[in-house]
Amino acid sequence: MAEIEVKQDLRALNNQTAAKNRRSFNENNIFVLNIMGSPGAGKTTLLENILPELAATFSTVVIEGDLATQNDADRIRKTGVKAYQINTNGGCHLDARMIEDEFRKIDAEKTELLIIENVGNLVCPISFDLGEDLRMVVISTPEGEDKPLKYPPAMINTDAVVITKTDLSEYVGVSLDTMKKYIRDINPKVCILEAGKIDGVYNTGSIVRFIKDKLAEKRSVN
Amino acid sequence: MHETALMQNLISIAEKTVKENNIKHVNSISLSVGRMSNAMPDALIFAFEAFTQNSSLKGAELIINEVPVKVRCERCGFDYEPDDFPFICPECRSNFYSIIQGEDIYIESLDCEV
Repeated sequence: MAEIEVKQDLRALNNQTAAKNRRSFNENNIFVLNIMGSPGAGKTTLLENILPELAATFSTVVIEGDLATQNDADRIRKTGVKAYQINTNGGCHLDARMIEDEFRKIDAEKTELLIIENVGNLVCPISFDLGEDLRMVVISTPEGEDKPLKYPPAMINTDAVVITKTDLSEYVGVSLDTMKKYIRDINPKVCILEAGKIDGVYNTGSIVRFIKDKLAEKRSVN
Repeated sequence: MHETALMQNLISIAEKTVKENNIKHVNSISLSVGRMSNAMPDALIFAFEAFTQNSSLKGAELIINEVPVKVRCERCGFDYEPDDFPFICPECRSNFYSIIQGEDIYIESLDCEV
């Protein structure tokens, strides 16, 4: 009888591919953002509203992830930004290999900002490094103010939490202050941003500024 | 979460180890599963048993060692195992932490006949 030491991480395969992606992105000076959140949290709507300003400054491409349809990629294309749609046909998250494959279609030399909108899911995507520089998790007020407490890994393994549909909070009985307190209970360091309609206009200025700041920060280091 | 994919990875790593070490028979595989790794031990065992039916690993036992979450206080450096959120340092009461243990899933070793 013998004991043979193995000491291997079961998620090594995805992590290795993610590292490869990261090298490719860095070689081409592409800043990559991975946006996650429940289905219907408002990820695509958020993108529709931040892309005009972002794409005016940076050459931007979006990769959309959904089980089926081209619907989200079509919505992005209507803003004038090039979009690629990955259909997972049942898969509940994007992984590094899917991004590696899709990235081959993109003009890497011309791209400065790549935004990946992950499959709507607050659980699985969190565990899969895609090679991104920045992570944002989107939660909406109709999902309930205790949403952060129910999904701790989503609050921990991200750089920012964006609370969307803030204008609906009073109609759905949610206190923004309580929601933010719950986020802070799980992760006191995470950046909390808000997006909602004010006088009929979807206010996403803080999210655009956050992304621009992070992109500038990365460029100043390199 | 994705216990089937994780078990397929495990079986592939185990079969490779079997080949490389000329192992005759695997008695058990030790797996460390972090409490914050998003994997459920029961589901891992279920998937393992299902996938090893038609493998050279059939009959091997999957032994799961649950690894608790450990964090380091970012203010005073004290390491502790928190109970529930918010994580509060028992030494200095700071709520700022970094996770140092409990997020990973590792194959530790194979117990076998060579």
